[in-house]
Amino acid sequence: MTPARLCGLIMLAAAALAVTSFSQTAGALDPRVLWSGQASTIAHIVIVDSWLPRLVVALVAGAGLALAGVLMQQTLRNPLAAPTTLGVAAGAQFALLVATLFAPILLVYGRGLVAFSGGAAAVVLVFALAWRRGLAPNVLVLAGLVVNLYVGAASLAFILFNQEKLHGLMVWGAGSLAQNNWGDVGYLLPRLAVTAIGAAILIRSLALLDLDELNARNLGVSLPWLRLASLGLAVFITASVVAAVGLIGFIGLAAPAIVRLAGARTLMQRLCWAPVLGALLLVVTDLALQLLTGENATLIPTGATTAALGAPLLLWLIPRLSATRSAPRPRVSVPVARHRRPGRVVGLLLGAVAVMSVVALLAGQGASGWAAPFTLPWHDTGVWRLPRVLAAGVAGVLLALAGTIIQRVSGNPMASPEVLGVSAGTGLGLLTLTWFVAAPGIWAMLGAGLAGALGSLGLLIAINARSQFEPEQLLLTGISIMFAFDALQRIVLAGNDPRTQAALAWISGSTYHVTLPTACVIAVAGGLAVAVAWPVSRWLDILPLGAPTARGLGIHITVSRLALLGLVAVLTAAATLVVGPLSFVGLLAPHLARLIGLARARAQMGGAMAIGALLMIAADWVGREVLFPMEIPAGLVATLIGGTYFMYRLRRI
Amino acid sequence: MTRRGRVVQPTAGGPGSVPRALRVIAALACLLWCATAVATPRVVTLDWGIAQNLIALGVAPIGVGQVAGYRSWVAGPPLPSDTREIGLRSQPNMELLAQLDPDRIFITELYAGQAQRLSSIAPVSSVDVYFSDGDVWDNTLAAVTKLGRLVDRDKAAKALIARTRRQIARQADRVPADTRPLLMLQFVDESHVRVYGSGSLVVATARRMGLDNAWHGATTRWGMAMVPISRLADINDARVIVMGPVPVGVADKIADNRVWQALPAVRQAPPVFIPAVWSFGGLPSATRFAHLIADALTRAPDTGPGWPRARPTP
Repeated sequence: MTPARLCGLIMLAAAALAVTSFSQTAGALDPRVLWSGQASTIAHIVIVDSWLPRLVVALVAGAGLALAGVLMQQTLRNPLAAPTTLGVAAGAQFALLVATLFAPILLVYGRGLVAFSGGAAAVVLVFALAWRRGLAPNVLVLAGLVVNLYVGAASLAFILFNQEKLHGLMVWGAGSLAQNNWGDVGYLLPRLAVTAIGAAILIRSLALLDLDELNARNLGVSLPWLRLASLGLAVFITASVVAAVGLIGFIGLAAPAIVRLAGARTLMQRLCWAPVLGALLLVVTDLALQLLTGENATLIPTGATTAALGAPLLLWLIPRLSATRSAPRPRVSVPVARHRRPGRVVGLLLGAVAVMSVVALLAGQGASGWAAPFTLPWHDTGVWRLPRVLAAGVAGVLLALAGTIIQRVSGNPMASPEVLGVSAGTGLGLLTLTWFVAAPGIWAMLGAGLAGALGSLGLLIAINARSQFEPEQLLLTGISIMFAFDALQRIVLAGNDPRTQAALAWISGSTYHVTLPTACVIAVAGGLAVAVAWPVSRWLDILPLGAPTARGLGIHITVSRLALLGLVAVLTAAATLVVGPLSFVGLLAPHLARLIGLARARAQMGGAMAIGALLMIAADWVGREVLFPMEIPAGLVATLIGGTYFMYRLRRI
Repeated sequence: MTRRGRVVQPTAGGPGSVPRALRVIAALACLLWCATAVATPRVVTLDWGIAQNLIALGVAPIGVGQVAGYRSWVAGPPLPSDTREIGLRSQPNMELLAQLDPDRIFITELYAGQAQRLSSIAPVSSVDVYFSDGDVWDNTLAAVTKLGRLVDRDKAAKALIARTRRQIARQADRVPADTRPLLMLQFVDESHVRVYGSGSLVVATARRMGLDNAWHGATTRWGMAMVPISRLADINDARVIVMGPVPVGVADKIADNRVWQALPAVRQAPPVFIPAVWSFGGLPSATRFAHLIADALTRAPDTGPGWPRARPTP
């Protein structure tokens, strides 16, 4: 199927939906009245000033996001790249949150400026982090991921404590396209035009990026400036769309991917067809949603729903997408001096874990401020602290181990258990449960979480079996599951159901709900998983050398990958049930271990596990004490502590 | 109650050897002690609506979840200044609760998942309105009665219900007779509103005042619906009540909102503003709403600019 025929088909669907929606909205209104004279009846005004601008805004926003997606994917040479990869949306949302809470005066003239500045600031941060490496694509993607997680965690912390006040923002965050005048159209249309012209100017240089870096440079292209210009354009239109109508997922990632699949091979073709497809996809979703949920009591926002509906489509696309990948991807390899005595380093780290555990158990605030150790009775403090410290430590160990394995197996530095989608799957299960059961108990939650984890693992295996668990495709699968989870979370938040508060508290990764029996069960499970992982560490030393080498050394690629993957899933699910799906630790701990100089698989695993435990216990303790008696979930604190350090190190690689 | 049991014992002392005056004093002191013990059961609650009811019953909770949130969203009746913050409503601080050692912890069905762990600190009672079947007004009254029983304030609960009825009836008399059905809404942002329907406390209260409700669309369990403004287009006979707080910027942008300006309900009569009422609240919220709505409707002109151009009177 050619892109033109595909778009034609969707256009037909869009037209049919538009006619149905129009007649439903307009009622008995004669369409001919619309072209003549002043709008007088309310039905007429609703059509002219709400229905029509909404249709146009959906077209413009969809086109803009798809255009941004093409530019991003081309520049970053990454089929995973979406307009939000560089942190635009996360930055915009955070800026709006802060403004709403602390400087509402900034919002008097609308969200546009605040959202735009926030999005731009996040991207500037990402660029600054990657600047020393000449904005190399993989460093940019990594920096974007870190900034996304970091800013996202900060936002979630604010949302947790100010849910009532931030509700309006949650509606924006879920991307509702409702319009009441032509203001948003007037805002977006010229910006889309500017971006399109810019892309047309850049198109010849950008096409050279299909070659590898060296060839492109030899042809006289200044790579950093080209990347800056192209990404700048993408960020500009993304930030504009986000500022006007909120977060709309999936379109920017999927539209370019689908047209490529439909046969748009050259950059020129993709730049032409992707915006058309993006516009049509968004319009179809929006019209269908209006028809289906028009009478509902709860708002079903278009942006988040598009992402949720798009996720299965993305999963279907993945095997087809990876096969058509054209450009080679350079690997980030950060040379680090190998430490001479890894055993000593790991020993030191374990000592630190022990010290931190004692602090977390004994030091803390009580009803009358900070209390010296042993002054408060154990049954008022320790009984509550012990399961949490234990669970936090174990979760840190599990995530660090999972992270080390997945990074080594995939050879991808941005891989983490979260990226694999198992955390998200667990979160999906939990969120669904809180939606259907008023107040689920801990066992129901464990069950639902495990079901979600196993479900996502099943999907991972089903989709990736044929490609023999090729790492890149695996990551794409995980990202699709994350998309679905993120989308569902946004829909739930926008609904402002009082039940969301409990769900939110769980999602943000707190050890709050852990009881001693649960902690012990998970500790035992974790111990078993480590015992299994230790003997197979040879695979982890050999697999990063590449499939042919590994095969030559007598390793069965599929079996070893599948076994390791299953292990990662179990580790992640167990940890997620305790500390929620925010598993920055799984990304961070292996990196830190490597940066310290723990290069061999076993040394890295040991070091990462100790760092993971240390980070999570510290995060849990800080989260419990810093705003006492309020608590910041450990997952959020870990992300904030770890993210800061990570950004600092990233600048120096 | 354990506290009472503990106190009662001294009265069982032998009467013979003790001087009479001392016995009387002891008895009086004991009575006083018993009285104060009954007067202030030390209770905590996660829910703001229960906190409202408890204060109205004269048993102010010693700890409430998200105290600052209560002060800005619930407003009345005020929490005593020494009320302890016990953390997020969905995640009360267990260590602090254990140290406060309350006599009882009140929750709603929303927090039922916590009940088991909380019960290791103190007896836990769920007093719920929205997860039970039946009319929200009846459920609210039942909740107050149940609360009264659990804190030994049966009479106070009856009095509170009677007082609320009286006050609502008195406010109902002030409302102009020709008031249209009310379309009560709260702005979520410039394009979306939360509309109150049957099943919400404010609409139930309005109904008790003889005021009809103009929203007949679907509502959630909490008696509300969140809709884009264009969904209000086919409501023809209504008086718009804008409930605070209005998000920043909305009032300034409403002039450019062509659909809002053209709504039949907005054109018929100027929209009326009333300050925030905690809609998941207890009986004090109902009384507060009755006062606010009666004030606003008696003062509101039938023509001229309504909210937001006519400045809201606090």
